[in-house]
Amino acid sequence: MGRLRQKGKAGAAKAYVTRSQAIKKLQCSLADFRRLCILKGIFPRDPKNKKRANKGSSAPTTFYYAKDIAYIAHEPVLKKLREHKAFAKKLSRALGRGEWSSAKSLEENKPVYRLDHIIKERYPTFIDAVRDIDDALCIIFLFASLPSNARVPPALIENCARLAAEWQLYIMHSRSLRKVFFSIKGVYYQADVMDQIVTWLVPYQFTQNIPSDVDIRVMLTFLELYQTLLGFVFFKLYTDAGLVYPPPLDEKKDEGAAGVGAFSLQEVQKSAPGPLVKNLDVNGRTVSSREVRQTIKSIAASVAVPAGVDASTPTVDSVPEDVNEEFIPHPSRTDEQEATDLPTLHTLSTLPRPISADLFAPYTFWISRETSRGIFEFLIRSFGGRIGWPASSGSGSPFDEDDDSITHVIIDRPLVERPGETSEQRERRLRRKYVQPQWVADCINAGKILLEEPYAQGKPLPPHLSPFADHAEAYNPVAQATVEDVDMAEVDNDQESEDDELQGSDDDIPKQKPPTSQIVLEDAEDPAALRAAELAAEAAGVDYGTFEKDVSRLQKKATKKTMARADERDTEESMNKMLMSNKQRKLYEKMKYGEKKRASEVRDMGNFVLTLMVINVCLPA
Amino acid sequence: MASKDLKRSTKKRKQVEDEPEEEDLSRAVALEMPSDEEADEPAFSDDGEVDEFPEIDAASDSDTPDEEGEGDQEDEEETDAESDQEEGEQSGSDNEIHPFPIAKTIISDITKQPKRVYPEIEAEYDSDSSTEDDPNRVGNVPLHWYDDMPHIGYDMNGKKIFRPAQGDELDKFLDTVEDPKSWMSAFDKSLQMDKPLTAEELDIIRRLQANENPDADYDPYEPTVEWFTGPDKEEKMPLSAAPEPKRRWVPSKWEKKKVMKIVRAIRQGRIVPSKPKSTQPQYYSIWNEPTDSQHPAPLPAPKPALPTNAESYNPPEEYLPTEEERKEWESQDKEDRERNFLPHKYGALRLVPAYDQFIQERFGRQLDLYLAPRVQRAKLNIDPESLIPKLPSPNSLKPFPSYRALSFVHGKGRARCLGVSPDGAWVVSGDEGGVVSLWEVTVGREVKRWTFGGKIGSLDWCPRTDVSFFVIGVEDHLHFVIPPNLPSGVLTATQSLLAPAALPPAPATPSPVKWVSSSSSASLDEPILTLQLPTLSGLPGQITWHRRGDYLASVSNREGQGSVWIHQMSRRHSQAPFKKVKGSIQMVLFHPSRPDFFVATQRYVRMYNLAEQKLLKTLMPGIKWISSMDIHPSGDHLIVGGYDRKLCWFDLELSDKPYKNLRYHTKAIRSLHFHPTYPLFASSSDDGTIQVFHARVYNDLMTDPLIVPLKILRGHDIKDGLGVLQVRWCRGQPWLASAGADGKVAVWCS
Repeated sequence: MGRLRQKGKAGAAKAYVTRSQAIKKLQCSLADFRRLCILKGIFPRDPKNKKRANKGSSAPTTFYYAKDIAYIAHEPVLKKLREHKAFAKKLSRALGRGEWSSAKSLEENKPVYRLDHIIKERYPTFIDAVRDIDDALCIIFLFASLPSNARVPPALIENCARLAAEWQLYIMHSRSLRKVFFSIKGVYYQADVMDQIVTWLVPYQFTQNIPSDVDIRVMLTFLELYQTLLGFVFFKLYTDAGLVYPPPLDEKKDEGAAGVGAFSLQEVQKSAPGPLVKNLDVNGRTVSSREVRQTIKSIAASVAVPAGVDASTPTVDSVPEDVNEEFIPHPSRTDEQEATDLPTLHTLSTLPRPISADLFAPYTFWISRETSRGIFEFLIRSFGGRIGWPASSGSGSPFDEDDDSITHVIIDRPLVERPGETSEQRERRLRRKYVQPQWVADCINAGKILLEEPYAQGKPLPPHLSPFADHAEAYNPVAQATVEDVDMAEVDNDQESEDDELQGSDDDIPKQKPPTSQIVLEDAEDPAALRAAELAAEAAGVDYGTFEKDVSRLQKKATKKTMARADERDTEESMNKMLMSNKQRKLYEKMKYGEKKRASEVRDMGNFVLTLMVINVCLPA
Repeated sequence: MASKDLKRSTKKRKQVEDEPEEEDLSRAVALEMPSDEEADEPAFSDDGEVDEFPEIDAASDSDTPDEEGEGDQEDEEETDAESDQEEGEQSGSDNEIHPFPIAKTIISDITKQPKRVYPEIEAEYDSDSSTEDDPNRVGNVPLHWYDDMPHIGYDMNGKKIFRPAQGDELDKFLDTVEDPKSWMSAFDKSLQMDKPLTAEELDIIRRLQANENPDADYDPYEPTVEWFTGPDKEEKMPLSAAPEPKRRWVPSKWEKKKVMKIVRAIRQGRIVPSKPKSTQPQYYSIWNEPTDSQHPAPLPAPKPALPTNAESYNPPEEYLPTEEERKEWESQDKEDRERNFLPHKYGALRLVPAYDQFIQERFGRQLDLYLAPRVQRAKLNIDPESLIPKLPSPNSLKPFPSYRALSFVHGKGRARCLGVSPDGAWVVSGDEGGVVSLWEVTVGREVKRWTFGGKIGSLDWCPRTDVSFFVIGVEDHLHFVIPPNLPSGVLTATQSLLAPAALPPAPATPSPVKWVSSSSSASLDEPILTLQLPTLSGLPGQITWHRRGDYLASVSNREGQGSVWIHQMSRRHSQAPFKKVKGSIQMVLFHPSRPDFFVATQRYVRMYNLAEQKLLKTLMPGIKWISSMDIHPSGDHLIVGGYDRKLCWFDLELSDKPYKNLRYHTKAIRSLHFHPTYPLFASSSDDGTIQVFHARVYNDLMTDPLIVPLKILRGHDIKDGLGVLQVRWCRGQPWLASAGADGKVAVWCS
């Protein structure tokens, strides 16, 4: 006989604690516990057996791992929170008594906690941190666009705006933007940073107000963590790219652009002079030589480009390109292990850069004042293009509207007649290409410069598709479009079949549409072979109608045969289902349900396209 | 008299105490007499007495030299002196204030004994009862103790105080209205009635209301009395003559030491007075040092799904919701929506408005991050079809019945039962109208028809081949009938079996079942033999033969011990195998090779050995109500069907629990039958279908039986919720006969 085991001393009863137990153990308030959970990244767990974890009670409760709670118990932040509680009491007492000087000294020695160790714990390596900055970026970009109020101090907004700008600067500098998607929620960007895919969502530039059903305390706690995380990540990214962090800010220019956009890129001088890099433990000699080369470059650039703030940007951009034998020093070179572990700028720059990274390099853009400067400046500069904007969108445009180098104008206005146009203006207008903003995003997603024609000013736009892959068997509008094209072509070829189609339009779709039935029959008959036969028949001078009839007859026969076969197989399978165990049957039915639902979704979409097409065919007639 | 007594007693004590003192004189001198006396009479230890002590002392001292001679005299003197002293004391003490009342001793009128009487206590301010004028003397006890009593307490003399009359609520209300003084009265708890408040009490209440001191005599504005200040009142002399301590004016050495320590630290730079706060830069290269943690990094949070085409500001037309979809989406709860937005098409980017749920969605994501329990699930990446068990194709398991070859229609009522002849050529079927028809399997031609009075409950053909007859179970009777057109040899053998010329000897214990042979044995229209079951035993719902054809078991549908009978043909004797039956018996079965007997009650199947007359095992199918069962011809496997649609396959060697549970019929299972030679079995159900299975049983114990569903036979109609009531296989052919509630009896051929 084994040892007697007491109930509740081992297993789930010991491994899990409820939230109230955890709070009792930590001796803190619920708000403090929530804050700790957010900061430490501790989340509730679902025990396999709730009853066992909750000592026989099946009441709905939140469970945490007991070890997680033990892990918070000696957290320095928790100690600081307790100190802060005492401090708050002391301060309020001092203020109540009117002891201003002691209140002042208390305020000066206010306990402040740092989150560095938490960042290090949660993200032991840099890659871990980069993998997890999606949410951080979303929140930072959101707060950068929020108005300040009593709960959200302006300093916080300013810091978020600064972090957002720093991130955009880094992305532009490293040319790592990959995809962009204009959705109804905002603009989704996807970048490839340190081989990690980072996706973030930026709201459109409108004033948002924090709704009352949102607990701002939770958001601010997350924001606190995210600010620290992004600070450290950016520090590492910037130093790895050989840049100074934080990038120095030009107050005057910031004020100049503040009237328009949230982000002012132009003030940040990214050219990292040598002395500033001294904290990166790079030995002085190499830096100085680099600095010399950079100054030479920047002088050359400033000659080429009219003086502007952005003039410095291309020079910095060009730095990684001309990596030669002298550009060995690297901030993390001293740390051998780190250097081997992480992809450094050196290793990254030796990797083949995607061709599309310099997509807009040959072009110069001008954005019209109704388009959002923040979005397009980021997009175009991320792909190597030059961009200018009118003064109404903020100061610091590198060139004017009548600059001759402008090749594209991004305009989001309906086409209007311009009666009082001088010949010079007219000539200029004809020389430039006027495109709608979607063209930029579609070019980036396609990885090539698309024809400007469908996106010309005032034209109805082609649909804007998501560049992010959907699940495999989802509806694909592009494939559908090709089918549609084929159909249209065939309809044009064969005017006679139109009537038949119209008659059969209330029948089920596979029958009324021979072309679609071809598509449906793809597994039964090889479509390529069919196409070949069609061509052969055409060559032989057989009437297309008779050919079509033959084909449809054959196909019908084939369908019948396959249907019969499938039916038999189905009945056999459905009979075999009898012998499945209950568990298997439930799993099977669940999977089948999902499959059927997805298939019906795709079918519905396809049907919609077909009906649209039929309508289109009917309309000319 | 009392005082005399007291004196006497003291004298005696004196003598007793004095005697040892005489022995040691010097010690007696050292001992102080008055202390002794004081100890003896503590009640009189007054100041006056103390003053008198020296005299007594002197007397006793003076006595000491002539103590030896004048012991008695001294005694006398002493008593006198003492009595004087006492008298003086008493007279003196009368005038003084006593903390305790002094008792007087009087002689009781009743007992004639002296008794002490204390004077009446006069209630003064500091006396306990001075403020108590409460007539109710129960003290501070909860008054609800007296709730059930007619009285509410006791007065000073121990008399009950009766509860004052109390009016109802209306009276109280009227009192408050009519009595102008009612507002000045309050409820007295101890007297349980309203008492008017005195003017002082009212004044106290008024003062309390006005936040004043409740004491009326208190004067908050008394003039200051300058006791120690003011002219002529200064203290000329200090209270204490002690010199002022040094610490009052000398600076502290230890404070100075502490201050100097700080000063030295500041001088040496160890303490910097207003030093800048953060020495550490805000951001630094945190990932340069490898982490010292041994633990793996926590799992990253799952990323939200990326947006699809539907979320585009300019999606393809097919993504836009129709009016119904939009309405449905709007009517749904926020949590039930499949996606949290409605696709919308905007003609240009400048027309896209702000997304009003943006902050809520980010907040929702944060809530997910810190409040939602996360579970790591292995994604099941399998083809659902792979879950279906791979079985041999039915085509490879032919022959089995697949179509209806013919059907025979009973005009009246449901065809409830049927039997197939041992050679498989004839079918006899009975309906609820009392008609039994005999017809050929191959053509379905009716050869003969018998009509009985009641419902036909069951039918079965005798399995013997040398004789040919079948048994029909009608109300309380079992009729034995010989089919027509038999070869003469078989016919005579059958007749001699059923109606022997010489009856076998009657059994020792007469059975309640009567065996009655028909008088006209030549006619085939009448049953040749009839077994009369005990009256009211009900319709025999099942008849089953032992494989040799000598024994026949019948189950009547009436509950109780008389429901199962085993009839022996050769001895023309019937007996009830069970004295006492637990539960209602649904079915019985003979084992095909062993002398075993299966009895299915509502929930269990019990297996008995008839030879040893004992229970072998109880099978637990887990069916709520067993409807049918059949045993495999090998005798090792049993199938049990229930009204709750379940079919259980038992391997009798393996376990009491089913080897396989199948549920494929949509309604109750009615009948089961194993084919005697082919590896087939069929089940019929109230859903109007018959399912044919391939059931191969292997001889080695290691291989599991193979069960393959082969065919669902449809063709019977459902009538009154009943479908196919019985199925029977034809011996020698893979053919199946089935009787349905629609009155049809069908033959299914391969």
